Amino acid sequence: MAALAAVLQSRSLGFPWLLRTWAGGARGAARGAAGLHDYDLLVIGGGSGGLACAKEAAQLGRKVAVVDYVDPSPRGTRWGLGGTCVNVGCIPKKLMHQAALLGGMIQDARNYGWEVAQPILHDWRKMAEAVQNHVKSLNWGHRVQLQDRKVKYFNIKASFVDQHTVRGVTKGGKETLLSAEHIVIATGGRPKYPAHIEGALEYGITSDDIFWLKESPGKTLVVGASYVALECAGFLTGIGLDTTVMMRSIPLRGFDQQMSGLVTEHMVAHGTRFLKGCTASRVERLPSGQLQVTWKDLASGKEDMGTFDTVLWAIGRIPETRSLNLEKAGVNTNPDNQKILVNTQEATSVPHIYAIGDVAEGRPELTPTAIMAGKLLAQRLYGQSADLMDYDNVPTTVFTPLEYGCVGLSEEEAVARHGDDHVEVYHAYYKPLEFTVAERDASQCYIKMVCLREPPQLVLGLHFLGPNAGEVTQGFALGIKCGASYTQVMQTVGIHPTCAEEVAKLRISKRSGLDPTVTGC
Amino acid sequence: MAQPLLLRRFLASISWKPPQGGLAPLCSRPLQTPWHSPSGLAVIPSQVRSVFTTKVSTTTFNIQDGPNFQDRVVDSERPVVVDFHTQWCGPCRILSPRLEKMVAKQQGKVVMAKVDIDDHTDLAMEYEVSAVPTVLAMKNGDVVDKFVGIKDEDQLEAFLRKLTDRRACL
Repeated sequence: MAALAAVLQSRSLGFPWLLRTWAGGARGAARGAAGLHDYDLLVIGGGSGGLACAKEAAQLGRKVAVVDYVDPSPRGTRWGLGGTCVNVGCIPKKLMHQAALLGGMIQDARNYGWEVAQPILHDWRKMAEAVQNHVKSLNWGHRVQLQDRKVKYFNIKASFVDQHTVRGVTKGGKETLLSAEHIVIATGGRPKYPAHIEGALEYGITSDDIFWLKESPGKTLVVGASYVALECAGFLTGIGLDTTVMMRSIPLRGFDQQMSGLVTEHMVAHGTRFLKGCTASRVERLPSGQLQVTWKDLASGKEDMGTFDTVLWAIGRIPETRSLNLEKAGVNTNPDNQKILVNTQEATSVPHIYAIGDVAEGRPELTPTAIMAGKLLAQRLYGQSADLMDYDNVPTTVFTPLEYGCVGLSEEEAVARHGDDHVEVYHAYYKPLEFTVAERDASQCYIKMVCLREPPQLVLGLHFLGPNAGEVTQGFALGIKCGASYTQVMQTVGIHPTCAEEVAKLRISKRSGLDPTVTGC
Repeated sequence: MAQPLLLRRFLASISWKPPQGGLAPLCSRPLQTPWHSPSGLAVIPSQVRSVFTTKVSTTTFNIQDGPNFQDRVVDSERPVVVDFHTQWCGPCRILSPRLEKMVAKQQGKVVMAKVDIDDHTDLAMEYEVSAVPTVLAMKNGDVVDKFVGIKDEDQLEAFLRKLTDRRACL
């Protein structure tokens, strides 16, 4: 079988699909290193977690296959290998966020002596093309990496046949069967569409689509209060589009609420409209082509209407488990949200089937945790390691126009765990030096450190609102991981002039009631 | 696909006669004076040459699929330069037209196949393409030379000459 495959390949017939049918379709025709199955490890999902796990396992000498497939969004958007982060998440988001920030900097430049012509215009098409081209280069990069690491890749939609066997279907409808000793499910999630809003599915788009639009979305209504909603609304406003955010209740659920309030306050002050406490009831298309949205103010019960070019639903994400036929394998999910139930080893209810990343219950929906969990899993399976993934104190950043970086507990979580009497919060309002000459408003530039009150005052959480929050927070995450105390942070000399140094200079506690505004040097 | 090409070349070579008589290889002799074709029409040399290089002998083509690649590249009688490129690659957009121009200058001694790596990922994988642009020189189905990245016209000329010179050694 292998000899025939080699002959076929050397003849450069260019019939790879034929090779794969022969290799995988005939059960038992291609023996994995394990002998009984086609592969040692089959990874379902070629995103952050899946690819990391597969590559690590291959590096440890195993026979690995990755299957990845993207169902087009309701609007028809599709993308290549790499998962949500690469294609419709972190990467295009950060690039568009950067595009928006640059607009602000061009305005600031005048104060710094640059002669900048007015008005400054933004071309969506040019930005979108550049972003999309970069994403495509990443798709390719991932494909090459799999090839280099000798991981077999199939662009097929997978579902379970039994505990060790998966059926894959190509775009053209061709079926293959793949079997493996271990299986990792890393299928991630997709944006949720509202269930009971007329016209929502037909006329609205989601984050799956926004980054792939060829034409500008124009006047946009973003529905939701998640970081996806706020980040999208943020960059749309930043590039000059009329943007409205409609929230049913609180912004950034799960994040520190004081910080979340400051984030939205900044967005309001910088041109994003907010419809707070409202829910949409209907979306219709007008003869002009624009969309008419009807909503209700929950407090007053009053109905109102608005016209938009685009409606973006950012009301949450659902795990990609529906089409996996998990029952055939006996893998259990949380009935409330369909996420796969896992233990600390990332194992599901079936011992040799694992789940990592967004699809797994109780995990942060973040790329770095999925990647690390995937690598550690491969090392435990094939590398004689016993290290488990530590999901505590995972740092993250919300890339809204004013960025919010955090690591550890929110103030409310710390108080809930330890009691108000045992928590000390140090805070400060500061002004980035760069904002001064640029005459920028720094009202929401704020830092708070949540600590235990008892000496040495262990740092429980750090919250930073300001420019480059991701860069600032990353280093402090190491400190928290090492169990830094407030005393140690205060003993750390700051780098001047930066915003980050303000963390090491926090002296005013909330309890003292003193004014936390820091004056410049 | 190869047969119509051969036929065209054959027809082209008999439609005009070099002054010395006999069939000369296509596009090998520079013509100084206008030629009278058998039909009596006066043909200006430069026009004759350009007609053969652009209409009759297509020096550049896009690969459609695996069998197409097998036919026009692996089984090609002439050496083939394979340009692995793609739409999202900036340097590719600079190299491809430049390479096309230099290949056309070779007057049919070598042809160029363009492969979009996004459309034909399996082919690109087979030929171990990682970065783009990657250009392979292929003769008799084997890869005899390769380069990655942008090259200027002189470098491309040297690359192509090396490929066509080897042919003379056969």
